[in-house]
Amino acid sequence: MVKSGLSTLDATILSLLAYAGSAQLAAMPLIATLAPLWLVLLTAIIVNLRFVVYTALLRPHFTHLSAGRRLWLGYIVGDIMFVRFTSLLQQEPNHPHKVAYYTGGALANWAIWQVSSLIGIFAASAIPASWGLELAGTLALVALLVPLCRQWPALAGAVTAAVVAVLAHSLPLRLGLLCGVIVGIAVALAVDHQSRDRRARRRAASERFLS
Amino acid sequence: MTDLLSATDPYVWLAILGVTAATFITRSSLFVLGARVQFPPVVEAALRFAPACALAAIVAADLAFVEGQLRIDLSNPKLIAGCVGIVIFSITRSIIGTIAGGMITFWFLHFWLPVL
Repeated sequence: MVKSGLSTLDATILSLLAYAGSAQLAAMPLIATLAPLWLVLLTAIIVNLRFVVYTALLRPHFTHLSAGRRLWLGYIVGDIMFVRFTSLLQQEPNHPHKVAYYTGGALANWAIWQVSSLIGIFAASAIPASWGLELAGTLALVALLVPLCRQWPALAGAVTAAVVAVLAHSLPLRLGLLCGVIVGIAVALAVDHQSRDRRARRRAASERFLS
Repeated sequence: MTDLLSATDPYVWLAILGVTAATFITRSSLFVLGARVQFPPVVEAALRFAPACALAAIVAADLAFVEGQLRIDLSNPKLIAGCVGIVIFSITRSIIGTIAGGMITFWFLHFWLPVL
């Protein structure tokens, strides 16, 4: 972040408040070139859109809590905690301590992320750019992505999203990513629909055969 | 690093508040609205596939480009490191192993085989 032209103090405050790795990285070059504020806000929202998906899926588990509590639980949502919490709920949907599990994990994730981020901000000048450390972040996303593609519709959608995102890469504001996501979801839905149709037809055929 | 911009500049403050607002808007609004939001089944299904598509788009855009140039071939060390990462995770289910194996592959190709 510091390498994109913001002062150490700015980067520190931004990290502590926004808690948004990829959105910060996307917004930083815009801020450094004094881009209009609406563009900074829109870019951050677009890059953060996946959290709308996460919170939509997690929402039913927190509806019994107060609105203030839910505001903070939403703020600390992260990629890794979302995946861990979802897999806990797959094993035990009504885990008695699920809110505590979520809160503890997400807060630990917040603290570790902030400490690592601050180390990064202050050590930025010490690590040569040629080490390509930002690749480690992408590899972490690979590890989150692979288990999500176990079913055909999701795999088809992911491959489509990847191809479209690369083809539309030249669009401004990283809008190529959003194009990839939209086309990918459409393909996943179509594949899902078709496999469901095929299953229904097979069931109807066997019922006709039996009757 | 330039210190032309600083946190005392109102523009920088507003930009920082904007990115922070984006965090709250995307993560907390559905939580705060609670059970009052009910999605139609198609949207519900779309939401199920969205994370895989979003992560795939981000990862592909990161790995396929080197210094802004599209490089989908064996001479792109990031792309190869990413593929190694997919294989390692599929076999071991280890996040740390995936990151370590991918980075070692990248460094090996980048530093020891500079012809690539």
